[in-house]
Amino acid sequence: MELTPDILKNLIKSAQMADEDEIGCNDCFEELHEFAEMELAGKSPEEAKPLVKDHLDKCGSCREEYQALLEALRNIENGQK
Amino acid sequence: MLKWFKRHRKSNKSYETNEEWVQALSSPVDEQAVKLLREKLINGLKPALHKYVDRELDQFVEDVAQDALLKVIDNIDSFRGESKLITWAMKIAVREGLTELRLKRYDDISIEDLKPNDNSREVFSLSVASEETSPDRSLHESQLVDKVMQIINEELTDKQKKAINALMIQGLPMPAVVKLMDTNRNALYKLVHDARLKIKNKLEIEGIDPDKMLDKL
Ligand SMILES: [Zn+2]
Repeated sequence: MELTPDILKNLIKSAQMADEDEIGCNDCFEELHEFAEMELAGKSPEEAKPLVKDHLDKCGSCREEYQALLEALRNIENGQK
Repeated sequence: MLKWFKRHRKSNKSYETNEEWVQALSSPVDEQAVKLLREKLINGLKPALHKYVDRELDQFVEDVAQDALLKVIDNIDSFRGESKLITWAMKIAVREGLTELRLKRYDDISIEDLKPNDNSREVFSLSVASEETSPDRSLHESQLVDKVMQIINEELTDKQKKAINALMIQGLPMPAVVKLMDTNRNALYKLVHDARLKIKNKLEIEGIDPDKMLDKL
C-alpha cells in the first residue's frame, strides 16, 4: 500500500477545496427541503443557499439523498396533475 | 343535517395548506391525514428508491413510509413551514430509506472486513513513502508524497488519520467508514473537514501552491 499519484491528487484537491465555513450533513439536511423546492420551482437555490450547494458538491451521501428526494417529489407532482 | 354536513366535510378534508396539515398531524392525530400522507410518501419513494432495492420494493417502501410517518408526527412541532409539508416529510422519508439501505449494504460485512489491513497502516509512517520510491516515479513526485505524508503525520490526530486513510487511501465509501469508526455521518464529515483544512493551511504556510503541485503529478 502506498500513496499513488492519484490518491495524492485527490487528497490535495480535497484539502484545497476545504473552506472555513463549510457546513456538515446535519445542517445540510435542515435546509434540504427548502433547497429542493426552490430547485423544482426553477429558482436558483445555489444562489440563495450556497453553503448547502457546496456541501452537496462535496458529500456523496447527502447528494444521493438529495437526488432521490427530487425524484420522489417530481413523481408525486406528476401524479397530481 | 347541518351537523352531518359538518362532519362529512371534516372527514373529506383535502389538506391544501401547511396549517391544515400541521393541525391534522398534531395530537390528536387525524387518521385520514396520516393515510393520505402515507400514500404520497409511498408514491414518491417507489420511483426514487427502486434502483437501490433489488427485491420486495413494495414492502420495503411501506416500512420506510411507516417509520418516516412516526418521525414526521413526532417532529411536527419543528416544521417551520419553509416548504410544503409534503416536501419536508418526503425529505425525512428519503433519508430514512437510504439510511436503511446503507445499513443493509454493510450488514453482511463485518468490521474486521472493513478494517484496513496491517501494511496499509504503514502509509502513515514517515519512512514508507521515500523507501518505496520506484524508478518510474520522478524525484519531484516522491518529494511531494513525502511532504504530504509529513503534514498528515505531524498535523492530524489519530482519528483524522484513520478517517483519511479509510476514505481517501483505502477508498472505502462513507457509510462503511461510519460503521468502521463507530461514528455518525455528520461527525465523520466534520472530522475530515478539519483534517482537510489543516492540510490546506499547512501547505499555505509552507508556501506550497496546491495547483502547481497538482500540475506536477
Ligand atoms: Zn453530507
